[in-house]
Amino acid sequence: MTWCRRGLGILVGVVLYLGLPGHAWGAENPLGSGAEVIAEGHELFNKLCTVCHGVDGAPGDRGPAMAAQRRYLRQTDTELFQAIQEGIPDSEMPPMGLPEDDAWRIVAWIRSLRAKAIDVPVDGDIQQGSNIFWGKGECGRCHVIRGRGGLLGPDLTNLGAQMSLKRIQEALTVEKPHPPLGYRPVTVTTQGGRTISGVSKNEHNFSLQMIGDDDRLYLLSSEEIDKIVYGEKSLMPTDYDRRLSEAEFRDLLAFLSRLSLRRREGSSVEPNQAP
Amino acid sequence: MIDEMSNRAASIGHVLRCAVVAGLLAAGLSAGEVTYEQLLDPPPENWLTYGRTYDSQRHSPLDQITKENISQLAPAWIFPMPGARRLESVPIVVDGVMYVSQPNEVYALDARAGRQIWKWRREPARQRGNNRGVAVLGNLVYVSTPDAHLVALDARTGSMVWESEIASSEDGYWSPAAPFAIDGRIIAGNAAGDYGLNGWLDAFDATTGERLWRFYTIPRPGEPGNETWAGDSWKTGGGATWLSGSFDPELNLLYWGIGNPAPDFDGEPRRGDNLYTESVVALDADSGKLKWHFQFTPHDLHDWDSVEIPILVDAPYKGRLRKLLVHADRNGFYYVLDRETGEFLEGVPFIDKLNWASGLTETGRPIRVPGVEPTLQGNFVCPSTSGATNWMSPAYNPATNWFYLAVKEGCGVSYKSKQEFRPGGFSYAATGYIESPRFPWQMFVRALDLTTGERKWEYKQVNSRHYGAGLVSTATGLIFAGDDQGFFTALDAKTGEPLWHFNTGTRISASPISYAVKGRQYLAVCSGVNVVTFALPAGLEAD
Repeated sequence: MTWCRRGLGILVGVVLYLGLPGHAWGAENPLGSGAEVIAEGHELFNKLCTVCHGVDGAPGDRGPAMAAQRRYLRQTDTELFQAIQEGIPDSEMPPMGLPEDDAWRIVAWIRSLRAKAIDVPVDGDIQQGSNIFWGKGECGRCHVIRGRGGLLGPDLTNLGAQMSLKRIQEALTVEKPHPPLGYRPVTVTTQGGRTISGVSKNEHNFSLQMIGDDDRLYLLSSEEIDKIVYGEKSLMPTDYDRRLSEAEFRDLLAFLSRLSLRRREGSSVEPNQAP
Repeated sequence: MIDEMSNRAASIGHVLRCAVVAGLLAAGLSAGEVTYEQLLDPPPENWLTYGRTYDSQRHSPLDQITKENISQLAPAWIFPMPGARRLESVPIVVDGVMYVSQPNEVYALDARAGRQIWKWRREPARQRGNNRGVAVLGNLVYVSTPDAHLVALDARTGSMVWESEIASSEDGYWSPAAPFAIDGRIIAGNAAGDYGLNGWLDAFDATTGERLWRFYTIPRPGEPGNETWAGDSWKTGGGATWLSGSFDPELNLLYWGIGNPAPDFDGEPRRGDNLYTESVVALDADSGKLKWHFQFTPHDLHDWDSVEIPILVDAPYKGRLRKLLVHADRNGFYYVLDRETGEFLEGVPFIDKLNWASGLTETGRPIRVPGVEPTLQGNFVCPSTSGATNWMSPAYNPATNWFYLAVKEGCGVSYKSKQEFRPGGFSYAATGYIESPRFPWQMFVRALDLTTGERKWEYKQVNSRHYGAGLVSTATGLIFAGDDQGFFTALDAKTGEPLWHFNTGTRISASPISYAVKGRQYLAVCSGVNVVTFALPAGLEAD
């Protein structure tokens, strides 16, 4: 519960900081994608749309979530605007016929939910976040950024352009039921009696490819293996909201959101160069 | 609509009929011609129908490749099919010639050398769905097409002899199943159940292409079963026939599995049992009249097409020799029926994770568990819509008296919404499903006792989460299986132990076969875009 409030606070903080002009996702919106517009859109959505959709864009009793792991048919500002104003034929989505500015405000908020992290300005201290990544957070033990870091976890060099801020935040705080493919913890005892722990990159009945805790690659055939024990939980810690202070967590999130091989939409700042 | 279609089919057949008859007379009988008698009792070296024999047992009597020499089994040849995507075709082999298909194309290959003899391509080619193989009878090779036509090709040249319309592609139909040849007739089905387009099964004259009968999978007003559809919902009820079937020549009955009702995930507009969706139907082969039916999933809400191939076995059941039909359904239950009457004899789950029914009644009707129906926010259901098994064929080995099948364990989350039917071939699924994050999918090969469904062994296909190959059984106690990792694997039919494997490199989504040419036994399977075959090294087969 504590974390829910804190997470919401950070998200609100992020949203309030929004406002740089020229985001592609706000380009068609006459009101832009400013923090105020988004906050107003958020409020309007919760007031007008939650008869069917869930509060804050969650799934509702009669309408879908506003941002989820699915392909949305209506993605651009204009498509969303039309869906709000004219409804969606052959579905339960009615024409809302709102004052145009209100519809655009709701559009701005929905787009902010779906944007990649790099395109959403954040209010943390990026340098402090970097210090936490390589220091107290011990993230660099398993993750690599531009060639620096450990090999057990995914490469984060382009993270901000691949994930939304919400998904990055969830990766740090919500335990997944199963480790993702390619990152399953494994301990192998060889026929020679040697024990190797690490993550499985690939596996089948007849061979296993793994990265050991020593960051070395091991290629094993089933004849060379005496015993395989898989870990059911990912090696990724999900208690960063507790092991870090609120400010540290915000800084880490800001740092991670800037990891990108491309420039942020509308920004003149080069993508993160220094890991 | 339907009458108009039948006229169109008849006229196309008529145009080409004279040429066909003339051509056949001129050609005379030649090597490679397939008679009905051969289809009834196929020579061991040939693989003449989708399931090798009319009972669909997929059991090869060939005995050259054994547990003792299988370590030497090696690739014989690979034929990449130009432009292919993921092949699901089951090759047919007649006297050293292999016929293999993909949508709009059929190839004849030298089954020893993997060299092309001819290729037929439909132009202009409409792309829709997959293609699962051809049928052979006389001098003709039959294939159904993405624009829902049945085409007959000259087996020697690949030139088209006749074509007939199965269904209107303008309406949204296509035809992915391998046609099924019986005495003088070719049985063909169609697909578009998820579009709310009603299915049927047609019989065509094998020589002329003239349509002989049609069985509608959704009963029309006045026909028994129509009352199982609320209001006019029967008009858009689905019930596709997208896979092949089985045949009992003595009873003269065809057995066919029927697909899902539409809208798939929203049962509200179609209250009732929704016959004959999710059923197996037994049809008189002469008239297409329904002899009996058995419905596996009344009022299905999870798109669990019951098209999985039924296997026919004559075996003792509770002390008496019975004509049995066994079927592992996508809904997770294994069924044993009397194929003369359709009487339900046994039904047990063949998966561990099954939460939608607590069991079956004495008549085989599922005892539903509430709370698994699709909702707007999603409900957790096991198995998922992709099912506990699917189009990949099971096999039966008479020596073990066990039924072998590819199994998917895992659950899904099913969603529904309101959707209006739209004519012309548009989805009428009323939303869909995802793989459950809690219970990711895992593939197995399992062996079940034929009459009790008791699990004898399982082989876990490590890291395989999606459907792979069907199975083939051999007289030497081998079961050949494939998986989505590309591995083609031989298992001991008694124990499930892996005895041999080969990494084909691409996902295997088709069912394998075994055949022989000039005394050498082969295994063949479509893997990704390739037809891949295996044999013992030349010379070794004499051992």
